[in-house]
Amino acid sequence: MIRLQGVTKRYPNGLLALNDVSFSMAEGEFVFLIGPTGAGKSTLLRLLYRAEVASRGKVSVAGRDITRLPARQMPALRRSMGVVFQDFKLLPRKTAYENVAFAMQVTGTPPEEIRPRAMQALEVVGLADRADALPWQLSGGEQQRISIARAIVHQPPLLLADEPTGNLDPRTSWEIVQLLSRINLRGTTVLVATHNKLIVDILRQRVVELAAGTVVRDEDYGLYASHA
Amino acid sequence: MPERRRRRRSPLGVLRAGLAYAGGEAVAAFRRNGLMSAAAVTTIMVTLLPVGGAVALAANLRLMTTILERQVQVVAYLRDGISPQERDRLTAQVRALPGVRRVEFVGRDQALVRLQDALGERVSLRDVIETNPLPDSLEVALVNPREARPVADAVRQIGGVEDVAFGAQAVDRLLAVTGLLRTGGAAAGLLLGGVALIIIMNTIRLTIIGRRQEIEIMQLVGASPWYVRSPFMLEGMLQGLVATALAALVLIPGYILLFARARDVVPFLPLVHAPDLLPTLVVSLGLGGMLVGMSGSLLALRRFLHT
Repeated sequence: MIRLQGVTKRYPNGLLALNDVSFSMAEGEFVFLIGPTGAGKSTLLRLLYRAEVASRGKVSVAGRDITRLPARQMPALRRSMGVVFQDFKLLPRKTAYENVAFAMQVTGTPPEEIRPRAMQALEVVGLADRADALPWQLSGGEQQRISIARAIVHQPPLLLADEPTGNLDPRTSWEIVQLLSRINLRGTTVLVATHNKLIVDILRQRVVELAAGTVVRDEDYGLYASHA
Repeated sequence: MPERRRRRRSPLGVLRAGLAYAGGEAVAAFRRNGLMSAAAVTTIMVTLLPVGGAVALAANLRLMTTILERQVQVVAYLRDGISPQERDRLTAQVRALPGVRRVEFVGRDQALVRLQDALGERVSLRDVIETNPLPDSLEVALVNPREARPVADAVRQIGGVEDVAFGAQAVDRLLAVTGLLRTGGAAAGLLLGGVALIIIMNTIRLTIIGRRQEIEIMQLVGASPWYVRSPFMLEGMLQGLVATALAALVLIPGYILLFARARDVVPFLPLVHAPDLLPTLVVSLGLGGMLVGMSGSLLALRRFLHT
């Protein structure tokens, strides 16, 4: 599903964010990408949804080389994946339902399909009853669930999450990770970048650890720390 | 799965859904971002006002210079005692010269009447002079006032013409002034238009920067660039249109009022009548406002659409 081959990313300011990273993920896998802040987790994800271009190496998603993807083809790539962020990125003046429906409107989904599919996505995240709430009327965990609903409303084969629990308390974080896990069980490939030790240690999924832009560990059923 | 879904839809359906989305979103944004929109509309309106004023002024200056220049004419004074046949021959000869628009014969009696009219009723020429000292003359109107000198020279060569007058110095000065008015007006108009363009585009850029997040999310969920752009473009056009309508509410009564006032103070000044100017002015300002609003949006969006 995902393959990085010798990927190096150097930002224009000279910062070396990723240094010769190779890593791949099979379809249906669930992977935690861990490491301290600044290790390159976000950069790796940004390469995958093509918000950044690799300085060297090759990036492919679903068998397609996206390293030098022309801007014209970016919408198609973005529709084939869902992305979730630490700060939710919900539109503050739109209701929960509208935020989810927005993702379909702007990709040209026929109007009659929008409502049932948006409601279905809200049901998956357990917030169908809060559809008319505005983001500020929802808790942090609920907001994150809305953003997950938005990410999966296109039923993408791949879900990327960048610190999805970064702003949430431990209990809510656990709920979010369980939700991501459920989505994974339905067949979606899920890549979660996090530095939340607790959820990594409880879930015991494959762990890929980055440090200073290089992969230092890739372990199945891993823990957050290598020597626990 | 998304592929299959897309193939089922007719292109017309896609277009209809797209237009409905863009239109609805533009109107909604206009309402939702009320304060920003109001600020943008006000700014566009305030910048359109001097542009409209300048266009109105320029139209009047053009009319004035044209009328002034049309008054430039060459007068050929004819020898005394010329026969009617000779007169007709001379008139035809002058009319045939290049650069001559119209030739009018003014008999000496008619010239005297005109002089009396010019002097007014306080002085009676009949009391001062016994016989008419004025010669017959031909008044030659020109195609282009700049050709006064060559035409005058040509007329002077014709037998039967005693003298030619065209107010050489006055004509030169007049042409210098009207030329200055024309180029100065055009330059001022360009400058004002340029400034308006920059201000309007910056205002729109601000409203768009205020909605960065919305654009970012649209791109993130895979909206095509056209889908991102269209509501902003329509919104820019809408802002331009509303601003023009508001500017028209000031410009139309303002011009009518000023026209009436100017007519009272300087009745001899040639002015462009409101119905001849305002419809064209408002329509072109409206088109310009829409175009600037739309291109302002496009330009401001370019920065965000590159990622």
